[in-house]
Amino acid sequence: MQKKAGPLFYVGLSVFIFLVMFPFLWILISSLKPVSELFGEKAFVPFTSDPTFVNYQSVFVNHPFLTYLKNSLIVSGVTTIYTVLIASFSAYAIARMKFKGKTVILGLVLSVSMFPQIATISPIYIILKNLGLTNSYIGLIIPYTTITLPLSIWILVTFFRKIPFDLEEAAKIDGASIMQTYWRVILPLAVPGIFTTAILVFIAAWNEFLFALVLNTQEAYKTVPVGIAMFQGQFTIPWGEISAATVVVTVPLVIMVLLFQRRIVSGLTSGAVKE
Amino acid sequence: MSDHTSKPKKKRKLSERSAAYLLIAPSLLLILVIAIWPVIQSFYFSLFDLRLNNPTKSEVHTSHMIDLQRYLDNYFLLEGAIDKEVDKAGEGNAETLNGVKEDLSNLDASLLEDEKIKERYELIDEKLMNFEKIDPKEKLVEVEQDRAEEIQATLNDIEGKVNSLNDLEDPNTVKGLSSALADSIIKPNFIGFDHYAKNLTDKRMWMSIWNTVVFTVVSVAIELVIGLMIALLINKAFFGRGLVRASILIPWAIPTVVAALMWKFLYDGQNGIVAKIFEEVGLVERMATLLTNDTGAMFSVIFADVWKTTPYMALLLLAGLQTIPTSMYEAAAIDGANKWKQFLTITLPLLKTSILVALLFRTLDAFRVFDLIFVLTGGGPANSTETISLLAYKVMIAQSNFGEGSALSVVVFICVAIISMVYISLLGRDLLDDKK
Repeated sequence: MQKKAGPLFYVGLSVFIFLVMFPFLWILISSLKPVSELFGEKAFVPFTSDPTFVNYQSVFVNHPFLTYLKNSLIVSGVTTIYTVLIASFSAYAIARMKFKGKTVILGLVLSVSMFPQIATISPIYIILKNLGLTNSYIGLIIPYTTITLPLSIWILVTFFRKIPFDLEEAAKIDGASIMQTYWRVILPLAVPGIFTTAILVFIAAWNEFLFALVLNTQEAYKTVPVGIAMFQGQFTIPWGEISAATVVVTVPLVIMVLLFQRRIVSGLTSGAVKE
Repeated sequence: MSDHTSKPKKKRKLSERSAAYLLIAPSLLLILVIAIWPVIQSFYFSLFDLRLNNPTKSEVHTSHMIDLQRYLDNYFLLEGAIDKEVDKAGEGNAETLNGVKEDLSNLDASLLEDEKIKERYELIDEKLMNFEKIDPKEKLVEVEQDRAEEIQATLNDIEGKVNSLNDLEDPNTVKGLSSALADSIIKPNFIGFDHYAKNLTDKRMWMSIWNTVVFTVVSVAIELVIGLMIALLINKAFFGRGLVRASILIPWAIPTVVAALMWKFLYDGQNGIVAKIFEEVGLVERMATLLTNDTGAMFSVIFADVWKTTPYMALLLLAGLQTIPTSMYEAAAIDGANKWKQFLTITLPLLKTSILVALLFRTLDAFRVFDLIFVLTGGGPANSTETISLLAYKVMIAQSNFGEGSALSVVVFICVAIISMVYISLLGRDLLDDKK
């Protein structure tokens, strides 16, 4: 099936890419339109004669959008670092050591990744409320582990398995302890895999909505997804501001995807295909 | 470090095993505490009438108890309020009020006869006097069921007597205090499977399950077909492949909430370009009907989901396709098999595992759908896009009914478990196989 692509292929491909990207392009144009052009006949015109940054300004001035960004960065950043660290230990053990109950543990990890978040939220909410941890960073980071830890273990196990076993044998023969083997031999080779996992974990934490919606209800602790979702007023929807906020959130993700697409794809598909 | 190597092999193996368990321990502990325990706890909560907005039902109670803080707070205030009323009351009222007062002090005296209550009574009383903070556990004292019912009867009797009075100076205070006092007795709120019984006969719950199933089956089926087409299309060398891969990753990477808001704008009944296009094409009669009728709303939600998650499906399948050796196709071509035949006899069978894995992940994600619908339609119009997760959220958070909400979330959990088991039995042990 590895045939050379013809011109028709490129036409079809362009149409497909255009369809996928169309919503983004439209939102980008809308975010630059003055409010008057967002309604009526002008709403359907794919350009504006009077581009303006007033929507962008409004996002940061009339909404605590910077706070949302800061909160999301802190929560996703800390979640990523601590999950990947803990997951890398377990993944190393599962991928490269011999012990009983490995399949059971891997099965447990996989089943937990399938848990619906809604089924864990009521006890987590009540516990965090009693501990006074709702509306805090740590109160969001801990429950995020439910989502990110199984994901990281699952991906890291695949990466750790790919590292040649000979290296480890050599280290063992040289008398390195298990921890030394891990830090000196395995970890340096696993850096690309760990980095890939970190990107996926970060995206998962950054995009999470349900926990953030239920646990952090104060403006000062809202994350970006919750903050944006709450832009909608009760009677009016400020489409200009929403478009601008969408662009602000999307652009960094687009850059990240462009830079790391190879890694993201390898992470997404690891464990899903047997090579 | 040469002494390590001289250790017997058996010992090395043993230490490896314990090291492995040590390395896994933190993850296992976290998974137990923040995933498995909450699910069990959810099930436990679902057996109780637990409402965060009701003081006597805000916690799980398995036995009868008296809330001494509430009792003492209201007791003294009520006593004082009655004294004030007695001074100004007419003949008939004064008699009833004195009767109530006597009932109250008899009740108080009888409470103090119990050593266990007395001890705690004095402690709470002192703390209240000094305006100290009272631990929520400290204020509750367990009492026998008979005794609790007796106290409750007395309190109800007092409330009834007070409510029967007319012409009070300050009726709201006295009546309010006596009714607050009557809430001092906490009954067990264990109700067994009542929440389940109620919801399993509730049309709204079945409707939400139906909506979830429709959403899941239709969107995942479309995603599989389109995803497979895209995967086959880009499974060849061509110019700009990286760019194509990146651009189809973008819908996957953005937050679902943001995608939902984008589509809400595009579907808007007045200024949404997609709604306008659908109207021009004749898909909908008028732009405004897209999100305001049942079918239109469900279609819109599915369309947005297909846009967002087909790329993910395509990438999973593409990775599967790339593991099929080209030589197989070449051999088939020599045997004279056409493209369609090759697809049926080589691609599909070899792609089976990849397809099942992709379907497993996507089906579960789709079944748990929340963000997309929460933002795009809020479950409307008339609950026609309300999924089971959304219903559980609404009952739990919006109505503060944690017992019933937990029961619904357990239903979601059971459905997800059934779906996973079906897929995993189809996949066999492939998924967890240790050997590569």
